[in-house]
Amino acid sequence: MNTAVNIENIEKEIKELKQKRTSQLFLTWLRFKRNRLSMVGLSFVLVIIFIAIFAPLLTPYDPYDTNPFRRLENPSREHLLGTDELGRDLLTRLLYGSRIALQVGILIVLFEGFIGITLGLLAGYLGRWVDEIIMRLVDILRSFPVIILAMAIAGIMGQGLYNVVIAIGLVGWTTYARMVRGKILSIKESEFVEAAFSIGESTPSVILRYILPNVLPTAVIMICIMMPTALIASATLSFLGVGVQPPLPCWGSIAAAGRDYITRAPWISTSAGFFIMFTVLGFNFIGDGLRDAFDPTSKRN
Amino acid sequence: MEEIILKIEDLKVAFDTEEGDVEALDGVELEVKKGTFHGLIGETGCGKSVTGKTVLRLLDNNARIKGGRIHYGNIDLLKLTEKQMEKQIRGNEIAMIFQDPGSSLNPLFTIKYQIEEAVSMYSNLPRNKWNQAILEALQRVKLPDAANLMHRYPHQLSGGMKQRVMIAMMLACQPQLLIADEPTTALDVSIQAQFIKVLRDLKENLNLTVLYITHDLAVISELCDYVSVMYAGRIAENLTTRDLFKNPQHPYTDKLVHSVLGVTTTLEALEEIPGSVPRLINPPAGCRFHPRCQEAIAICSKEAPPLQELAPNHTVACHRR
Amino acid sequence: MGKSGYVVRRLLRTIPIVIGVTLVTFLILHFTPGDPVRIMLGPYATQENIAILKEQYGLDHPLHIQYITWLGNILQGEFGTSIRYNRPVLELVQDRVGITLMLTLSGLFISVTLGSVLGIFAALRQNSWLDYLCTFQAMFWISIPGFWLAIIFLYIFGLQLRWVPIGGLTGFSSVILPALVIGLQEEAWFARPMRAEMLGVLNEGYISAARAKGVKYIRVVGIHALRNVMIPMITMLALRLPWVIAGSVVVEVVFAWGGMGSLLVNSVLARDFPVVQGILLIIAITVVLANLLADLVYSLIDPRIRVEGGKK
Repeated sequence: MNTAVNIENIEKEIKELKQKRTSQLFLTWLRFKRNRLSMVGLSFVLVIIFIAIFAPLLTPYDPYDTNPFRRLENPSREHLLGTDELGRDLLTRLLYGSRIALQVGILIVLFEGFIGITLGLLAGYLGRWVDEIIMRLVDILRSFPVIILAMAIAGIMGQGLYNVVIAIGLVGWTTYARMVRGKILSIKESEFVEAAFSIGESTPSVILRYILPNVLPTAVIMICIMMPTALIASATLSFLGVGVQPPLPCWGSIAAAGRDYITRAPWISTSAGFFIMFTVLGFNFIGDGLRDAFDPTSKRN
Repeated sequence: MEEIILKIEDLKVAFDTEEGDVEALDGVELEVKKGTFHGLIGETGCGKSVTGKTVLRLLDNNARIKGGRIHYGNIDLLKLTEKQMEKQIRGNEIAMIFQDPGSSLNPLFTIKYQIEEAVSMYSNLPRNKWNQAILEALQRVKLPDAANLMHRYPHQLSGGMKQRVMIAMMLACQPQLLIADEPTTALDVSIQAQFIKVLRDLKENLNLTVLYITHDLAVISELCDYVSVMYAGRIAENLTTRDLFKNPQHPYTDKLVHSVLGVTTTLEALEEIPGSVPRLINPPAGCRFHPRCQEAIAICSKEAPPLQELAPNHTVACHRR
Repeated sequence: MGKSGYVVRRLLRTIPIVIGVTLVTFLILHFTPGDPVRIMLGPYATQENIAILKEQYGLDHPLHIQYITWLGNILQGEFGTSIRYNRPVLELVQDRVGITLMLTLSGLFISVTLGSVLGIFAALRQNSWLDYLCTFQAMFWISIPGFWLAIIFLYIFGLQLRWVPIGGLTGFSSVILPALVIGLQEEAWFARPMRAEMLGVLNEGYISAARAKGVKYIRVVGIHALRNVMIPMITMLALRLPWVIAGSVVVEVVFAWGGMGSLLVNSVLARDFPVVQGILLIIAITVVLANLLADLVYSLIDPRIRVEGGKK
C-alpha cells in the first residue's frame, strides 16, 4: 500500500519535472525571440536557405556554363556581378554556392555531432576507463589545429566534398563530446534520474526517457554554435585547394580563383567572402541568442 | 553632549532588478556618536548591509541612491565625487569589513601585501618601518605568530583568522569609523566568541567608532552602546542597548527582543512573529510592519509613521506610541 | 609535496598525450584509400623507386613495428625526406619555421592585448554602447574567414592605398597587415571571456574590500582584479593557440610569405606525406608544450594550486 502511494508520488513528481522542462523550453524560446540580434541572425540564415532552395529560379544562368569570349567581365545589367575567369556568371555561381556551403556545413555538424554526442554519452554515462580513454583522445585531438589536421586528412584521402566533411568531422567532434559529457555528469546526479531508478526503471529506459531528452537541447545549441566553425573550416580548405574542387561552385574556391584577378576583378573574391560572412554571421547571431536564452545568467551577470 | 560622527537622513536606495525596482532603503535615519559602538539590527534583506555599503558608496552597479543625506562630520558623503570618496573618505576616514571573510581577501596576494597597501597609503612611516607596522596591526587583533602569518596566503588561514586579518587591515588604514557588516555570521560559534573578544579589547584600547551590522542580539548586548532596529528598508526604532532590552517601544522591536530572549539569541527565532518579511519589490502600504503587527489600527495601513522622539536617544516610528 | 609535486604530476600527464599525438600523426598516412607509396609517387613511379620508399618506411613490416621504427627515427631528429624537394623534412621546416613563428607570436600579441583592453573596458562600462560595440565587433570578426580578411586587407591597404608592400616578406612594414588580420580575428576570442571574467571578479568581496581600504579604482582593477582574471585568460590563451597557428598558416599563404603554411599546403597538394607528417607533429607538440607551460605559469600566479595540487 504504502509503496504504491510512494511510486505514485514519484511518478507525479517526474511528470511535474517534465512539464517544468517544457515550460522552460517555451521560456527559452520567448527569451530567444526577444533578442533582436538572434532574430536578425535567423533571417540571414532563412535568406540563405531560400537562396539555396530556389537558386534556379533566381537566376537565368547555369553555374557551369562557361563562355571563353566573356571572361572576367565587369558587373553589368546582364551579369550583375560580372563573369568569372571562365566566363560563368558570378552571381549565379555564388547563389548556387549556398547549396554547397549549407550541404557541407550541415553534413559536417551532423557527422561530428553524431560522433561527439555518442562518445560524450558513453564517456559521461559509463565513466571509468571508457571516460578516461575517450577524454584522453579528446585531449590528443585538441592538440592539433582543426584546419591543419583536416588539411592533412583531406590531402591524404584526396580532395572532394565528402572528404572535407570526413576530415573536419574527424577532428571537430571533440567539442561536442566534452559538452555532452559535462551535461550528462550533471544530469546523472539530478533528482529525477534518481527518482526514475528508485521506481525500478532499467538503465536503457532511463537513458532514453530522461537523459537523452535533457541532452538534446544542449546538442541542438552545440550544432548551431558549431555551424560557423564548420562553414569557415570547409571554406578555408576549399580556398587552399584541398577541399571542394571546381567546377563545383564553392565560395571558398571562388574566392581563391578571384585572388589571381584581384586587380582586374576585385569583386570576385570580395563577393564570395561576403556570402560566407553573411551566412556565418547569421549562425553566430543565432548561436549567441540560443546560448543566452538557455543560460540567461551567463552574459549579463 | 557627544559628538555625532555619522548622521544618515532620509536615505533612499533602489535596485533595478529583472522583476522591477526594489526599494531597498526608504527613508533611513540614524546617528552614530563618536567613540561608540552602534548596532544596526534587522532580519536578512531588511537593508542593513545596503545602508552600510551606501555610506562608503560601494553599492553594486544596479543600485541607485534616490535621495537623502549622509553627513560625515560636516561633509555630505552623497555629494562627493567618486574621486573624492576614494581619496578622502574610504580607508582613512571610514573603512568597512564584510560578512564573508573567505572572499574578502584577495586569494592571490599575501596577507602582508594586502595590509601593506593600507600601511603605505595612510601611515607616514618610512618604507623600512612598514613591516613593523604590519606586525603590529596583526598583533593588535591577537593573531598568533604574526611574523610568520603575514607571509601566508588567505587560503592558508581559517575563517576566524581571515576575519581578524580583515580588521587588522582596515585598522591599518587608521579610520575614524569602521563599518562591520555581519563580520561573525560566517564564523563558527566558538570562533565568534573569540572574535567578539578581540573587538571588545579594541573598543577599550582605541577610541574607535563602529557601526556594527548584525542580526545577532547577543553581539549587540555584548558590544554596542546604541542600536538602530531596521525593518523592511526603514528604521523602526533608534535607542540605547539598555532600552532595547528594558524598554523597547516599537512592536517589532518588542517582538524581536521577547521572542528571542530565552529561546535562542539569533533572529532565526523571528519566524515566530506571524507573517513573513515583506518583499521589498511590492512593500505593504503605510507602516511596513502592519500586516504582522498585533497592535495595528486603521491608520497603520495608510500612512507610514515618521520617527518621533520619545526621550533623548530614543526615537521610534510607530503610530501607536 | 608542494609545487614540485604539482609540476611532476603535470609533466606525467603530458606523456600519454605526446604519445597519442605521435600515434595520430603516424596513423594519418594510413587514411589513404590505397597504397600510400603509390599515391605519394604518382602513377608513373618506377618499381625501383617504390621499393626504395617502401624500404624507407618499413611498410613491409606490421603496423606496430612501423610505428616504433618511425618513432625511433623521430626521437633521433630524423623526420624523413621530402619526396618533392628530396631534402630532409627537418631542414625544410627549419628554413621556414621562423616566419610562421613570428606571425603567430605577433598575431597572438595583438589579439591578447587588443582583446584584453576591449574586454576590460566593456566590463567597466557594462551595458554601455562601448560594451555592445565590443560584443558586436567580436561577433563580426569571428564571422569572417581569415583568408578573406587577408585578401580584403591586401586589396585595400596594399593595392589601393599602397600603405604597405604587397607580396612576400619585405621588412617590418610587411608584417603589419598579416599580424593585424590574425590579431583582429583572434581578439574576439579574448575580448568576450575577458569581459565575462572581469565582471565576475569585480563582484568579488575582495574588490569591495580593496575599495573600502581606499585603494584607487584603477589600481583595484589593474592589480587586484587583473591578476585574478589572468588565470582563466591563460587557459584561454593555451586553448586558442592551435587556432592562431592555423590562422597564421592560412594568412601566410595568402600573403605569399613562403613559410610553413605554403610548405604545408604545397606538400598536401603534392602528396609529399613525410613533410605533412613532420609539420603536423611539430605543430601538435608545440601546442602540447604550450599547454604545459600555461599550466605551470598558472601555478606560479595562483598560490592555491601548490597545496591543493590541481586546478581549483
